[in-house]
Amino acid sequence: MHPFDIKTVLFAKHAQHVVLIHFPIALFIIGVLFDFLAQWKKQRVLAAAAYYNLLVAAIATVPVVVTGILAWQWELEGQKLKGILLMHLVMGCLSTVLIWVVCFIHTRTRRKQQEVLPGYRLPIEAVAVVIVALTGHLGGFLSGVNGPG
Amino acid sequence: MRRSVSIAGLAAALVLGIGVWDTGQKGSVTSAQEKMSTMEVKIDNFSFGPVALTVPVGTTITWTNRDDIPHTVVSTDDPKTFKSKVLDTDDKFSFTFSKAGTYPYFCSIHPKMTGKVIVQ
Repeated sequence: MHPFDIKTVLFAKHAQHVVLIHFPIALFIIGVLFDFLAQWKKQRVLAAAAYYNLLVAAIATVPVVVTGILAWQWELEGQKLKGILLMHLVMGCLSTVLIWVVCFIHTRTRRKQQEVLPGYRLPIEAVAVVIVALTGHLGGFLSGVNGPG
Repeated sequence: MRRSVSIAGLAAALVLGIGVWDTGQKGSVTSAQEKMSTMEVKIDNFSFGPVALTVPVGTTITWTNRDDIPHTVVSTDDPKTFKSKVLDTDDKFSFTFSKAGTYPYFCSIHPKMTGKVIVQ
């Protein structure tokens, strides 16, 4: 194995995708939690905390998606996926889109300097948390964390 | 005359008996060789079983995924000597080892899952 070979660095016995994925999951869930608390307590500081968590969560999805797709293309040679792998891919893409939509809603409100965030974001955030959790569960099952191994 | 017919009959029976015994022997040797030429590795609970396998040249090894999780069987050399597709539950992958050597392999979805085939 060559230590500077990109495939070796990214995959062989490292599997960066399974490491990086924890950042957007944690940041997004905490961001949503802060947002719900901000809505309930009517506190700007909590809303600000929610915004920054959601922003970094959205940014953190980029390397996760890249390493996931590279793993599929390089390690599995881009073969047609089925079963749990396909479900994980689809739900991962859906999770990424939802995280970016939530981030976009918060960013747009701040840019327009509006005081109140739109109420429809809350059900979107709730659904997104469920989808992210399910995707993470499938990923954990695939990697053996949530499975019999 | 009757005696020569009896001897001829006895000789024929003996030849036939030897033929049948010989065929039986060949059959048992062939089935033993067939048994030797195919072996199975089970994939279960995130491991290959047996982890290391020593086989003669010409042996075909079949990997069967008995796990709930998809796995692959990929040799670690470059270029790859063998590489399976993603094996779902109960899917199989076979490869015939025609050259002596040591063939380490792993699951590309779970790189910590490793195994080895030693061909002698």
